[in-house]
Amino acid sequence: MSSWLDYTINGLIVGNVYALVAVGLALIFGVSRLINFAQGSIYLVGAYIGWVAVVQLHTPLPVTIIVVAVASALVGLIIERFGLRPLQNSVRIAPLLATIGISFVLDQLVMLTVSPNPRALPSQLPDIRFQIGGGTIGPLDLLIAGVGLASALLLFVFLRYSKLGWAVRATAQDRDAAMQMGVDVNRVNQAVFGIAAALGGVSGLLVGMYYNQIDTAMSLQATLKGVVAEVVGGAGNVPGAVIGSLLLGLVESYGVAVFGTSYRNLFAFLLLVVVLVLRPNGLFASARQAPPEPLTGTFIAPSRPVRIPRWALLVAAGLFAVLPFFPVSFYVLQTLINAWLLGMLALSLTLVAGTIGQVSLGHAALLAIGAYTSALLSLTFSAPVGLAIIGGGLMSAALGTALISPSFRLRGHYVSIATLAIGEIVSLVILNWESVTRGPIGISGIPPLSLFGYELISPISIYWFSFIVMVVLALLQGRLLGSHLGRSFRAIRDDDVAARAYGLSLNRYKSLAFIFGGFAAGVSGGIAAHLYSYINHETFNTQQSILALTVVILGGLGNVVGAILGAVALVGLPEVFRIAAEYRILIYGIVLLLLVRFRPQGLLGTI
Amino acid sequence: MSNIDRRTLVKASLSAMMAGAAFSRAAFAQSSEPILLGVSGPLTGPNAQYGTQWKQGFDLALDEIQAAGGINGRKLAYQFEDSQSDPRQSVAIAQKFVSDPRIVMELGDFSSPASMAASPIYQRGGLVQFGFTNSHPDFTKGGDFMWSTSVSQADEQPLLAAYAVKRLGLKKLAVLHLNTDWGRTSRDHFVKAAKEYGAEVAVTEGYIAEERDFRSTLVRVRDASPDGLILISYYSDGALIARQARQVGLKQTICAASSVYSPKFLELGGEAVEDVHLGTRYFPEDPRPEVQKFIAGFKKKYNGQEPDAFNAYSYDAMNMAAAVVRIGGTDRRAIRDAFAKVKDVSSVIFGQATFDVESRRVKGAMNAELVVRKGQFALWDGKPT
Repeated sequence: MSSWLDYTINGLIVGNVYALVAVGLALIFGVSRLINFAQGSIYLVGAYIGWVAVVQLHTPLPVTIIVVAVASALVGLIIERFGLRPLQNSVRIAPLLATIGISFVLDQLVMLTVSPNPRALPSQLPDIRFQIGGGTIGPLDLLIAGVGLASALLLFVFLRYSKLGWAVRATAQDRDAAMQMGVDVNRVNQAVFGIAAALGGVSGLLVGMYYNQIDTAMSLQATLKGVVAEVVGGAGNVPGAVIGSLLLGLVESYGVAVFGTSYRNLFAFLLLVVVLVLRPNGLFASARQAPPEPLTGTFIAPSRPVRIPRWALLVAAGLFAVLPFFPVSFYVLQTLINAWLLGMLALSLTLVAGTIGQVSLGHAALLAIGAYTSALLSLTFSAPVGLAIIGGGLMSAALGTALISPSFRLRGHYVSIATLAIGEIVSLVILNWESVTRGPIGISGIPPLSLFGYELISPISIYWFSFIVMVVLALLQGRLLGSHLGRSFRAIRDDDVAARAYGLSLNRYKSLAFIFGGFAAGVSGGIAAHLYSYINHETFNTQQSILALTVVILGGLGNVVGAILGAVALVGLPEVFRIAAEYRILIYGIVLLLLVRFRPQGLLGTI
Repeated sequence: MSNIDRRTLVKASLSAMMAGAAFSRAAFAQSSEPILLGVSGPLTGPNAQYGTQWKQGFDLALDEIQAAGGINGRKLAYQFEDSQSDPRQSVAIAQKFVSDPRIVMELGDFSSPASMAASPIYQRGGLVQFGFTNSHPDFTKGGDFMWSTSVSQADEQPLLAAYAVKRLGLKKLAVLHLNTDWGRTSRDHFVKAAKEYGAEVAVTEGYIAEERDFRSTLVRVRDASPDGLILISYYSDGALIARQARQVGLKQTICAASSVYSPKFLELGGEAVEDVHLGTRYFPEDPRPEVQKFIAGFKKKYNGQEPDAFNAYSYDAMNMAAAVVRIGGTDRRAIRDAFAKVKDVSSVIFGQATFDVESRRVKGAMNAELVVRKGQFALWDGKPT
């Protein structure tokens, strides 16, 4: 079949494009064991610097590439020096979060400077097409392949034969030993970030030219695909990243061939999950490689939590409970309703991420499962709304735990990557499973909240309802943490080897945590569905997951009161900053960075 | 909740306070303060570009309204709240607008999840939600305070199908559509109409908005051997598909929905969009005076920039809002009723816009059949390409 040849070639062409980002990610991971979520933002910056060079300054292609490489490398050096180096001795989750914050700041700065309108980035290569099979390739395809291969080769030579390369590899193997042998670790890190950023920037330029289009939304997609390719190939393995990218391209292309275009990303993320479950170190990791994460739990900051006296909590809860009696506007109440709903999600995530140490980046999927279940129960089976919401919670608990259970054997970063992928998969299944979820049309006409036949329509009654549900969930969770179960959870987080040695079954406890957490998140999603009356696959997106994680970190991982405090702060602050509409995400990113830098254990501390 | 009594008490005291505030303000406002419209839309986040385009259209319309003496001597103004097209924020904004007595009606939001999540609040609060880009078939079913001038896809797609099948003579079609509520609804209407006109739809492919690479999709399209490609796309993805179709050697006629009508489509698509056919609601050489006024005014205000479809939607929406407020005054219920009364408002998209009271939408969008010739949109001269 000639079509299969075409699908293969197309898959390789796209994989080629992914490889440029993946190589940079692999390099950084190889040295600093960090998944750099800001790589996509450097790619974006590179594309726009290229646009300025090509369209405004009319530079020829070689000059453009050099300009972009140098400027992007500078950005990389700045990120390394001011964003990540101060976190060297911090816990391992800190730099990961810092890169997320940096990507917010960079994306937003680009958007503020150049406006969010897409722009054309004309290719500077002659427009010749070569016929291969049923399709054609152009000189830009060859250039991208050339840059990808050449950079992989150069890196290989650099790492194997140059002195700095040896230092890089030594640092990757054992940072402390390398330092003792006199390796200037900071210089190594600098070199690596500079090279990776230059690669990232050039890839943004080339991909922009390839599509003749750049816009400020391209960064997240690039990061996602790059991370998938890198992890598939074996994190930290540069040739592995190239092969992983090609494989990703092929899987997507064959997925389109067999099932159709709308399934494309589903295959990308399924590939990732399958690889993570079967070969957590990636397809091409050597057996001799050190385990990707330390055995004992230094992933999360240990700290002494702030003790809040019980009477203060009671007073605060009392104040919020009687708030509607005071002349506050419905707008304030609605904002607080949002905070309570986010609070329930944060309770769920703080248990899963904080107490048992499974940092989830796909938590919005639990909201979506709860929301769809509750909406469909009440619409299709005319279930009373109260019961439907509980049904949503139960479904989230069951389905969420079942989906995540294959990745229970993963640690640290890999859990985050796997949950990120599962979150995307859930959203894509909702989009494609039309007979049940009504696909992109979404579900409209969801009945409003009601309890025992009374409709809760006024913001005041919704406020009380969501507040009470959240408080009940919080009390339950507090009780849970105080019991032996809570102690077992924390034991697993802090040292899973020791916990296992004491006879704790890791999978069982992780399941328990996800069941409880899934229920809280599902209830939150269910309430939201009835509040909004309309949901579709975009209502609960990745940004929600990242917001929830920020809330949890702000409050202090595992900290119940902290989760609620964080939710109020992160729902409230953007509303306060409404005047500075365009700058809100920027401020949000900066707050995240400062928090990670100066108080990684969160406002109230890890419990 | 058993405390119904308390709730009504609170409500009563709140509304008393609000009424008091409104009264003192009304007494003061009669002369100098502008009539305020609330706008809920994306200024940041992934849809930020559309919020920016809205503003351009609004500002141009407001300049003209103010120059013509405003609304019975008072100025018209809007307060734009950034929702990032996120339902969580649009519901908070909805409460904000509903409880702000200065706001007389609301415009937006952009995406269906954000708009329709806020609808119950506007409906219960008795504030008109005027969604001018909300093509979701269920949007105006949210209640009698939901009105929309978004071109109904049940109207637009048969026009496109007629262009492709009857005029261009295409018999076997491949439909590529954005897999969103808009794209899906449009596709269904298009496919239905195209079949009625006697064409065969060989393949339909939905893609997500972030998609960039369409090569494998285009292999599927090629294998279905259609004689025409139909793009139900926005301008950026439409340009990407057209480019890649030409690169992989597909030479079929391409026919696109009006949402690609933007100078950006030409810029991003380059030579690949040459000879692309599209149906639009207006075009630059359109002799209608409202179109000429809009295009000339827009170019003058924004340094020669060509307006696109979203600019036209928001420009029309602001003019419609002004017409409604002229009839309904500043009372929110009277404004809702005014939507049913307003007649033949001059409009770029509709020519003369009058609401169908039953569906709360406007029917009968204008139609022009364009083709890209020498890098410009031109009226199709009937010659095959």
